[in-house]
Amino acid sequence: MTALEVLYYALGAVGLLVFLSMTVMALTWLERKTLARIQQRMGPMRVGPHGTLQPIADVLKLMSKEDITPSSADKRLFWLAPVAFFLPALLLWVTIPLSRDLVLRNMDMGLFYIVAISVLSVAGLALAGWSSANKYALLGGLRAVGALISYEIPFILAVLGVGMLAQSLDLTQVVDGQQNFAYILIQPLGLFIFLAAGLAELGRTPFDIHHAESEVVGGPFVEYSGAHWAVFMLAEYVNTFTIAALTVLLFLGGWRWPAMPLDGVGHTILSLAWFLAKTYLVILVIFWIRGTFPRLRIDQLMSFSWKVLVPLSFANILFTGIVLYYDLGRWVLTILSLLSLAAAFYLVFNKYGNLKKRNTVRVYSVRELGLKPAAKPPPPDAPSDGDPPPQGAPGHQPAS
Amino acid sequence: MMLNMGPQHPSTHGVFRLVLWLEGERIVRAEPHIGYLHRGSEKLCEREDYTQIITLFDRLDYVANLNCELAFCMAAEKLMALEVPERAWYIRTILCELNRIASHMLFYGVYGLDVGAMTPVLYGFRERERVILLFEAVTGARMMHNYIRVGGVKEDLPDDFGKRMTVLIDELKRGIDECDALLTNSELFLERTKGVGTIDGPTAVDYGVTGPMLRAAGVKEDVRISEPYGIYDRFDFGIPVGTHGDCWDRYYVRVEEMRQSLSIIEQAMSQMEAGPITAKVRRIARPPRGEAYLRTESPRGDFGVFLVSDGGDKPYRVKVRAPSFANLQSITHLLRDAYIADAVVILGSTDIILGEVDR
Amino acid sequence: MLGNLKGLLVTLGVVRRKHVTAQYPDPKKRLQVDKRFMGFPALLWDYSNDEPFCTGCMVCVRACPTQCMSAQMQDNLRHADGTSRRRKIIETFEINLNRCIVCAICVDVCNFDAIEMSHEHEMSRFERNGARSNLQQLLNMGKKFQSETGWEPIQPEKNLGSAEAVAKLKAAGGQASEEKAPEPAGAKKSGQTGADS
Repeated sequence: MTALEVLYYALGAVGLLVFLSMTVMALTWLERKTLARIQQRMGPMRVGPHGTLQPIADVLKLMSKEDITPSSADKRLFWLAPVAFFLPALLLWVTIPLSRDLVLRNMDMGLFYIVAISVLSVAGLALAGWSSANKYALLGGLRAVGALISYEIPFILAVLGVGMLAQSLDLTQVVDGQQNFAYILIQPLGLFIFLAAGLAELGRTPFDIHHAESEVVGGPFVEYSGAHWAVFMLAEYVNTFTIAALTVLLFLGGWRWPAMPLDGVGHTILSLAWFLAKTYLVILVIFWIRGTFPRLRIDQLMSFSWKVLVPLSFANILFTGIVLYYDLGRWVLTILSLLSLAAAFYLVFNKYGNLKKRNTVRVYSVRELGLKPAAKPPPPDAPSDGDPPPQGAPGHQPAS
Repeated sequence: MMLNMGPQHPSTHGVFRLVLWLEGERIVRAEPHIGYLHRGSEKLCEREDYTQIITLFDRLDYVANLNCELAFCMAAEKLMALEVPERAWYIRTILCELNRIASHMLFYGVYGLDVGAMTPVLYGFRERERVILLFEAVTGARMMHNYIRVGGVKEDLPDDFGKRMTVLIDELKRGIDECDALLTNSELFLERTKGVGTIDGPTAVDYGVTGPMLRAAGVKEDVRISEPYGIYDRFDFGIPVGTHGDCWDRYYVRVEEMRQSLSIIEQAMSQMEAGPITAKVRRIARPPRGEAYLRTESPRGDFGVFLVSDGGDKPYRVKVRAPSFANLQSITHLLRDAYIADAVVILGSTDIILGEVDR
Repeated sequence: MLGNLKGLLVTLGVVRRKHVTAQYPDPKKRLQVDKRFMGFPALLWDYSNDEPFCTGCMVCVRACPTQCMSAQMQDNLRHADGTSRRRKIIETFEINLNRCIVCAICVDVCNFDAIEMSHEHEMSRFERNGARSNLQQLLNMGKKFQSETGWEPIQPEKNLGSAEAVAKLKAAGGQASEEKAPEPAGAKKSGQTGADS
């Protein structure tokens, strides 16, 4: 490694960090505004025009808050947990290309590297839950471990399906393979599995049981305040951006699809803009899902993964393999994917019966139940029911 | 492991402590502790006159204020054998049914929050805000109205009430439909609430459960039918009754009740005529000696007032039968074989208000 | 899945609506209170005679559920001069606005149209007991309320302090009250309905 290469990598890393920080700040603002619009309100408006400086205010607030460590917490693990959660989020970005030439280090086993590193963040959550010396944190941490591990398998298999289609694990090759048809058109099932598994990996609604605000009040993060918590939030938003970027790269054609001019600096800037536009679209969908849905219970979450997503992802790989081995047209894969998605949706929908059967509440008219007019009050000189109150009870003022 | 869902918790609907013994995520034993909001209301009633007590009753069930005021005033009127004029009854009915809608909208909002959806709160409170603004125009206050008096109501309705009501009924219809479409049939919501926290009819009756909780368990019981009061016999409305007694049934019974309340309000607005709004009664009522017990159907259930009077302008004893207190007793039965996440959902579906549990 | 998709469509449909929230401190964008809104109680000023309506009769003090008021009555020197119909006038009056539950019972029981619920509802003070309002503060709140809403006394012939104003009213209103139909019993406040207090 020459000194020039070291300088190149160092500058690239710094640039990547700056880019990610800007993105995270933009994402916090965007999330609050999107949720506010869904809820028919305005979101941040005061700090800067339409609240655009709100993330800076948030950062300043979090940095200046007191960092409280519970006295019975395991101090080293308590300090290690945010780092263990945050580092894998950053390490992933070494190999994710934002455009053909904008990648820190393009590996030919890129997808393998991504999947392997992303598993490491589970350790951060487990450490946070354990070291906080708080029962709610422990519960949240254990739930997080269970959920994240359950969803690794569909995640890996969905990525594998794309790798089979592209015949490579290199991300730039995957995008190049989509120059005619994005993989969403060929493998819609893969997109569904990837998005569901990705949402669960992120810990976002409907899979955010481990830091559900209404039950375990923050889960593993409950004892963290100030800058510590900021690191967790930073990692979560970086992960959100990562999953969205991966969705775009693997399924939506990256920076290529549809046609994109291939040469020069213009190509780089245009493709970067196109890539970012698609990524933000996916992020908006993620926020939209967050605003709409309730969350699943932990056992329902895990059973959804093991009983629905894992068979579906095996089916995905099977269909992809059949189509590739027998060299059938890609449209066969589309049809098979859509059929299995429809079958899965129908089974999920039909679990509770059709809309008529779900409604177990019947409205009875009051005539049917025999509503009568109110009883007239008795005439004033009728004797009252019960004994009259005693005279002279302690604390009782006598009637005037 | 013992987990304390303590008095300070985002989901215990007030200051309520639920001590849970857990095996992993399953609840083995649950122990509710109440009393954190006890304000001595019944004792205060002994030294306040009848007009001042109405302010106390406002604050018992603080989301369904008018229903509580109504119960107390009706108890005093029963003792005095007072005939309340027609228009007063129409005003009372309209406002109490509006308050039922507001209370159930609050339930809808916080129930959505309990199952994890963050938008139902905002939708529910948007609809509730429409009702509350109308209350402000009629009674002067958004929540603690002090409006229903012994013998009638305090003031007549403002002149633009009819117009506002027409607009409001339309808006509420659309609002209820939108809230319904968002949450009720969502498969994720069904997963969380169907089959969770079941209670069957006879057990519910044994626990003294009343109101939407009892009707969701399949028992066709409503105080407006079993002990009729007011002018409800002039309206054609429905009583929603569930089948399984699970959380979904309790939720949907309340959503349907909102629609039925809206229909009652429409019929009352068309039937209401001008007239006196209060009976000829002293400013501070003085019921004769005696006692009376009166039940009303509040949004939470059977709200009863037992009033003992010694002939003075302050009662001798007032006892409140709060529906949330009895409904809360069944929480240990509901929480058998539940997960922690279910504990929150079940507690939310009982729709308790700690103000009336603790008084 | 259809239920979920329908939920998604509902939230998408809400996005293009105008927001229902107001940005509170901005005076142009906040919600205005209603005419009948019950804010904190305020004492009213009789402009016809330049003195408060309140005579210090203490009925409101006794009727208050939270006992948040205290008052002191004094002989009205202007009655001895002959410039006022009020024999007694208020000397000191204190309401602890922290304890007031804005129930408006004091307004109901007042016989002199002296107290009314103003539209004041924002009450932040820098001192811990800064919400204890004295007579001058209450009169200022009352004057502000009167100018904002154009409040007129309900029984001016009984309650106005200046004899000339009452005579003018009787002369002008004498014909008017004969033409006007008798008000329905329900239109008056409950304080005036009914036999005796």
